[in-house]
Amino acid sequence: MRYSWRPAAAGPFVAAGVATLLLIASLVWGGDDDAGFLNGRQLRLMAPAAPGGGWDQTAREMQAALRTEAGRTEVYNVAGAGGTIGLSQFVSHEGDPTQLMVMGLVMVGAIESNDSPVALDRTTPLARLLTDYEVIVVPADSPVKNMADLVNAMKDDVGKVSWAGGSAGGIEQILAGLVADAVGADPAEVNYVAHSGGGEALSTLLSGRATAGVSGVSELEGQIKAGTIRPVAVSSPQRLPTLPDVPTLKEQGVDVELANWRGVVAPPGISAADERQLEDLLVRMTRTEAWKETLQRRGWLDATMTGDQFEQYIAGERRTVTDVLVKMGLA
Amino acid sequence: MTDIEEGRPLPETPELAHREARAAGALGVLMVLAGIVVLIDAARLRDSDETLGPAAAPTLLGILLAVIGGALAFQSRHFLRTAQGPKRNLWRLAALVVVLIAFALLLPIMGYVVSSAGLFVGAALLLGAPHPARVLAYGWTLAIVVFLVFDVLIGLSLPTGPWGF
Amino acid sequence: MGDLLSGFADALTPGNLLWAFIGVTIGTAVGVLPGIGPALTVALLLPVTFRLEPAAALIMFAGIYYGGMYGGSTTSILLNTPGESASVATALEGNKMARAGRGAAALATAAIGSFVAGTIGTIALSAAAPLVADIAIHFGPPEYVALMAVAFVTVSALLGPSLLKGAAGLVIGATIGLVGIDTQTGQARLAFGLPSLFDGIDVVIVVVALFALGETFAHLLAGTGDSRVEPLRGQPMLSRDDFRRSWPAWLRGTALGFPIGSLPAGGADVPTFLSYSIEKRLSKRPEQFGRGAIEGVAGPEAANNAAAAGVLVPLLTIGLPTSATAAVILTAFQSYGLQPGPQLFSESGDLVWALIASLYIGNVLLLVLNLPLAKVWVRLLAIPAYGIYAGVLVFACLGAFAAGGTIADLIVLTVLGLVGLLMREAGVPVAPAVVGLILAPLAEQQLRRALALSEGDWSTLVSSPLTVILWAVVLLALVAPPLFARVKKHRRHIDEVRTG
Repeated sequence: MRYSWRPAAAGPFVAAGVATLLLIASLVWGGDDDAGFLNGRQLRLMAPAAPGGGWDQTAREMQAALRTEAGRTEVYNVAGAGGTIGLSQFVSHEGDPTQLMVMGLVMVGAIESNDSPVALDRTTPLARLLTDYEVIVVPADSPVKNMADLVNAMKDDVGKVSWAGGSAGGIEQILAGLVADAVGADPAEVNYVAHSGGGEALSTLLSGRATAGVSGVSELEGQIKAGTIRPVAVSSPQRLPTLPDVPTLKEQGVDVELANWRGVVAPPGISAADERQLEDLLVRMTRTEAWKETLQRRGWLDATMTGDQFEQYIAGERRTVTDVLVKMGLA
Repeated sequence: MTDIEEGRPLPETPELAHREARAAGALGVLMVLAGIVVLIDAARLRDSDETLGPAAAPTLLGILLAVIGGALAFQSRHFLRTAQGPKRNLWRLAALVVVLIAFALLLPIMGYVVSSAGLFVGAALLLGAPHPARVLAYGWTLAIVVFLVFDVLIGLSLPTGPWGF
Repeated sequence: MGDLLSGFADALTPGNLLWAFIGVTIGTAVGVLPGIGPALTVALLLPVTFRLEPAAALIMFAGIYYGGMYGGSTTSILLNTPGESASVATALEGNKMARAGRGAAALATAAIGSFVAGTIGTIALSAAAPLVADIAIHFGPPEYVALMAVAFVTVSALLGPSLLKGAAGLVIGATIGLVGIDTQTGQARLAFGLPSLFDGIDVVIVVVALFALGETFAHLLAGTGDSRVEPLRGQPMLSRDDFRRSWPAWLRGTALGFPIGSLPAGGADVPTFLSYSIEKRLSKRPEQFGRGAIEGVAGPEAANNAAAAGVLVPLLTIGLPTSATAAVILTAFQSYGLQPGPQLFSESGDLVWALIASLYIGNVLLLVLNLPLAKVWVRLLAIPAYGIYAGVLVFACLGAFAAGGTIADLIVLTVLGLVGLLMREAGVPVAPAVVGLILAPLAEQQLRRALALSEGDWSTLVSSPLTVILWAVVLLALVAPPLFARVKKHRRHIDEVRTG
């Protein structure tokens, strides 16, 4: 019976030989299209999140913008736990300057709230690239008209104001905690209802069960323009070009400012020369037309910052975030 | 045709019924142990000010695991006490698990193509394939085709060994 | 209507047809492989398509999306190794049919059912999207709690002949679903301090482990590595009787799949389980269930594809991605400067109608591609089991690696495969484990959200007309079957008295 399935006794060996030749051909052929960066080795960029999210988008936009500067870059995803799973895997590439990882404020928070065994000081920070701001919204038919209404409601009974937003300990919850702190309410009493993403939080808000929602500006822009939800404040220092009619928190007397920044880090133990070269590369990338067009299209703001300045910035952000997370009872 | 159907209401032979009952008993004991682990883990959680905290669901599931597992073990208690039946291919199962774990550990070192070909050959031989040489040729071809399609064409980055594949 | 026609005009250029065809082919190919779903494929192909025109790229993605949804059924039926949770229900009866040599019939009813459901779903999408979205946005946490209750009480048909063993499967799955960081408080549960477990265990890994690895291990233990299945010869692919039993199931599956798929937290797996249960309950031959009943393939497959169309409703009308694939398609939309949401139809209407038209085209292409292929696929089973299952292992490991990207995922895969083997040996069905894995965490999160939003007031669970209706369905599902059984028994009794 078995020979009905075998093509011929030599068939498998011929197939294996052909496959080997193809493999070798693809290696030889595909090997020389790099632009000679770092001795011709290819950059690998980790997006420590699932496809479709903010870090994944940043990584894939970088891949496109880096094409002219560093040839083909490879993007891969290691999803989970606010990026801390990717981080703990990333630090094992010690001393390898071809490995990069996208990170940001969310990771700073997740490291604290998840008690991650690996922290950002195990990496070599290269550059902050961009910021995305948060917007506080209410349902279109809500009695809350502006930030003052919301603040008053919080001062009355902070537990009665429910907030729908992204994951626990993430940037949305941090913002809710900072607002509560700034208006003199107890951050630990904030009634924050976590969701696995901005989309899910939006659906809870649209169902009319939550008082307010928090999400990235770029995620809610369409809803705001269509009038299904009403924006009451943005978390930026100045009004945003995409939402010029929405006042900032500071304008409305709430002294809070929060940028959802994203940046890039390299593994620990790379040489100072490599570090400088990578930083130069990233700065060059932010000056390309492709990158400027990306920022415009996605509504991100340029926030390039490198070197020691960036390292100190991370340390400062970590203090702010840890402080509010402790006050909220999350770290 | 030999088949191994799951969830069959009545096993045909007493030997099969015996085997199934012994496995059910083992699963039951395992579930009771897992239930205890789940309950211990739930007790460790920091409580929140929610009406239903993070420990509510694990506590319920831990109890259910223990109760259902206990019932399964109780049902097959007679079979658990009897001596082991004939040793069926258990060593093959152990060997395949070793092959799978070796694959996981060797993947970053040897690269995708070599480790996958190894996995294929190991699994096929343990499953009873004749002609090791031919199996090797098939495994090698399959691993290369997968690598070419997913790594080179689609761009899923698979681990590579020192030789670049 | 005119919009749709011009959409067809845009999509039906030879170039775009080619992209649709490429998309459908790639989608089917990756859908067949356990663990590698359409989301990952679209994400990987995104940079390649930057050079394409927006219409061409979206058309290709639509093809990958539908193709991937369809491809999953092939391995479920032939090898009992579903690659994602939405194909699990298809495997239950489909694989029994394949083992009995009727694989071609199972594949054919799946292909035609997918086509029927995909077409009706696409029509519903083009006709009623805004209307459906209006209802869907009223689904808040309390409504989901009620919906989950409906799902739990109706999936009992999946539990198999022994209630105790079925419940064991359900609880094991629910426990696996607990692993990972709790969404509400950010604390890790059952992770034992291992970072790779913080994000939970990917559903794909559990499904692949319980089915594909469990199946492989079982062949190893039984020493049946040489076995193979001979397809029955001299029979039409789909007999008249098969067709008569299939078409109502296709329609019922579609009716379940589209609305549930279009809920913001609906997804494609819940309707497939519901469809299976309903088919079993309504069947005139319930004794065939578990032995290869064709309705049990037709219904869930239709539900799966109708849900795939439904998922696009919240994506296009509110900009809500409700599945990983939808999230990636959203990214694709945005990279062409489109913002899905209430204004999408008014602002970029042509492109949306071209996308909807290409969904129709993708459906037709899938049928054309897959119906003849069914006979080819069935011949795969002539390869001895050792060849098939060694290959399945290679793809299962590839899928697990692609889903998580870490070595730890492969170890988890192996361990869960052993759990699956023990369950099989003990006669504990694995399908309820998948149900528990998907429904239990959803139910828990939604219940806790509902209670947090209402500040601990349980009456929130029945606070809207929708919730009341859903709870009424729960009651009905609990009360009606025993009542029916009693009436039937009573009638039979009367009949016996009369004839006797």
